[in-house]
Amino acid sequence: MKKIRKLISTFQKMRQAQNHVLSMNRRNLEYVYPNNSRCNFPIADNKLETKAYLRSLSIPMPVTHRVYDSFFSLRKVESDLQNLNDFVIKPAQGSGGGGILVIVENKGSELITAGGRIVTLQNLRTHMSDVIFGIYSNGLSDQVIVESRLVQHKDMDILSPSGLTDLRVIVHQNTPVMAMLRIPTSLSDGKANLHQGAMGAGIDMENGNISHAIHNNVEITAHIDSGHHLIGRQVPYWAESIAIAETVAYAVPLKYLGIDIALTESGPVLLELNVRPGIAIQNANDLGLYAALRSKAGAA
Amino acid sequence: MIPDTFFSQISRTFVYRLVLFGCILIPVATISYKLYWLNFPISDLIPTVSYQMDVSMQVDGHGGDINTSTFLPISDSRQTIQNESNNSGVFSLSLLSEGINRRAQWNADSVQGRHTIRYSYSVLGKHVRYEIPGDLSIPASYPRELDKYLKEESGIQVNDPLIEKKINYLFPEGKPNIFDGVYTIHKHLQNEFNNKNFSGFTDALTALKLGEASCNGKGRLFVALARKLNLPARLVGGFVMEPGTKRTSHQWVEIYINGYWVPFDTINNHFAELPAHYLTLYYGDMVLFKHTSNVNFQYFFKTLKRLVPQQDAQSKLEATPFNLTNLYSLFERIGISQNLLKIILMIPFGALVTVIFRNVIGLETFGTFLPALIAAASRETGLLWGLIGFVIIILTASWIRKFLDWIHLLHSPKMAIMLTMVVSLMLLMTVAGVNAGLFELAHVTLFPIAILAITAERFSILEAEQGWAKVSKITLSTLFVICACYVVMDSLFLQSLVLAFPEVLLILVGLNLWLGKWVGMRLSELFRFRKLIFNPEVKA
Repeated sequence: MKKIRKLISTFQKMRQAQNHVLSMNRRNLEYVYPNNSRCNFPIADNKLETKAYLRSLSIPMPVTHRVYDSFFSLRKVESDLQNLNDFVIKPAQGSGGGGILVIVENKGSELITAGGRIVTLQNLRTHMSDVIFGIYSNGLSDQVIVESRLVQHKDMDILSPSGLTDLRVIVHQNTPVMAMLRIPTSLSDGKANLHQGAMGAGIDMENGNISHAIHNNVEITAHIDSGHHLIGRQVPYWAESIAIAETVAYAVPLKYLGIDIALTESGPVLLELNVRPGIAIQNANDLGLYAALRSKAGAA
Repeated sequence: MIPDTFFSQISRTFVYRLVLFGCILIPVATISYKLYWLNFPISDLIPTVSYQMDVSMQVDGHGGDINTSTFLPISDSRQTIQNESNNSGVFSLSLLSEGINRRAQWNADSVQGRHTIRYSYSVLGKHVRYEIPGDLSIPASYPRELDKYLKEESGIQVNDPLIEKKINYLFPEGKPNIFDGVYTIHKHLQNEFNNKNFSGFTDALTALKLGEASCNGKGRLFVALARKLNLPARLVGGFVMEPGTKRTSHQWVEIYINGYWVPFDTINNHFAELPAHYLTLYYGDMVLFKHTSNVNFQYFFKTLKRLVPQQDAQSKLEATPFNLTNLYSLFERIGISQNLLKIILMIPFGALVTVIFRNVIGLETFGTFLPALIAAASRETGLLWGLIGFVIIILTASWIRKFLDWIHLLHSPKMAIMLTMVVSLMLLMTVAGVNAGLFELAHVTLFPIAILAITAERFSILEAEQGWAKVSKITLSTLFVICACYVVMDSLFLQSLVLAFPEVLLILVGLNLWLGKWVGMRLSELFRFRKLIFNPEVKA
């Protein structure tokens, strides 16, 4: 009898969960499809288009030094890059941080990556042609972006010396709804992807403090590598970051978005947009996104 | 972009509901019409057993002409013979009618070396059982055409004194009625005569003297005793169909009672009945195989048992406006067999299974339709070989893709090479399968080639981007979903259902329409967000 009662209460909780946790099916059907028209997807999917679309708004973004879109144009890489001491190589249509190469020092024939690895110019050229051949963008041919390297805020550098921590803000109908920090770890190989071993830290939308954190879907309170305490830590430039998210949300015709922002010493910088932002942010915040979306929509 | 005004939102929901109801209502209406008004019995949808028979005859030629022959079964009220096929190489086949029997004869001139003749057919058998009225007396005379079933033959010594002595021993009170006559003989042969596993010829008298016999000896003795009682009787030669390979045929008898030939088998104790797995090959005291001497003749029967939809299920609809048999014969005319049609019709079921696994359970698979298509192709290879073939092809092709990536090729030519490699791999596996005697593996050529090439590409990209752990997980879930699709698509009930009521496909569309609007938690999400869901306080 007790077991049956427990089963019923479990079932009721599952039903109630539908009212606060956002499922993948609901995200697609009720948020992604109705809010984002397919023809506008490239604004988010292609970083060059994102930059072009937002150019007039004076939103801080990494400076584009060069764009390569053909094998042929890669012949001039050496002379093109000789005046750049540090830079980042990115696929225009990459996702999940794939294909990103961060160069911290350019010694001409040899270059040093953020991870301390030495790559030759030939290695670099091979990597760039891999990007053009679409290895990081589902087999479609792609473009290589060479852009300025961001130096992250010292508060963030303490948390993730091995890679760039980014702030993910979910915006719906121009309103920021939920946010998290994605903090690379030694396990995630410098990448800010939760399913590759990065930590996710939920942010209190009111004050920009870390309220809850997870690693591999397990709750944590401190950094798994360094032991730095996470909970209560303030996100630098929180108000400015939210302001950027709102400005972008108003500007683009995509009304359900994940906006990724890097926190640098001089202020927040827009990294990229995502039309299909993941739902793991709920575990990072220990909050249901569906309830948050509805309460924000009700308040607006 | 169409503006989502209030009106267009309303009409969209309305149209959705209309289509959804149509998809459910139309098939339900037509199916109930067929079931109740046209009296289509739903029990006909339960599948029946079919046997795939394969007769192999092997000869060694030494330069001379070779003839070999055997009897082939004929369709009658008890057995249906279908899909006959001859595979005899240099031997030419001629079919001869010998009385009520059908003889197949293979001839070839100047034969050198070893040759195998293969003849195969499928059999649908029925179990029959006769009730013999207890008060029927043995007629004094019969129509003339039955005379030969009363006469003495070389192995059936009706007029021998020993037979008469046996009759007097069995029936001390004189001539019995029909039931007592056959019952007494049957029981006597069944209980008092030992079954002997001897494949040679035994005539009626020898069997009688020894008090034991194999099927043919008992059969001849039964026929002799019945004829002595003035009951027309004949030997029946045939085969007991059991899965596997064997060389022994079987004989039983039939006695003409009240206008029917009633079967009796005193080896396996079938009185006035014959099970569905008995195959009749010929009537009379014949030799099953005849062949030119000194050719080292070998033969064996291979039997495969499988379930098939009932024949009558579709033909009962013939006289109605829903004349599907005509539709199917139309497909048959352009070379699409009903078997192939059945597989095609089952693919939507597999797709629905995949959708459920992806959207309701939350398993990631390669492609939406790949599992259903692999499951469909695996019907020929068997599930195990289908899965093995799939894994081999995907792994090999993704390695080839890695190599192609390394030498740098543009996307389309690269995919064309992948496609070629998948085709070559399949042919290689077929050759390897045939050479190793794994004929099931040889059927991998039915796999969806283009989709496999694309899957191999996805596989290697995922492996590069997210590592082996992730790609193995997706591969395992894909294999699991293939199994689930296979089980559903292999369901004979569903196959019969969709053949008899193709409108069921509309219901599948309806279910997908409903699933397409389903925003509930996937099973995997219940686990992923378990803390949020099962925590005591409800978060907001």
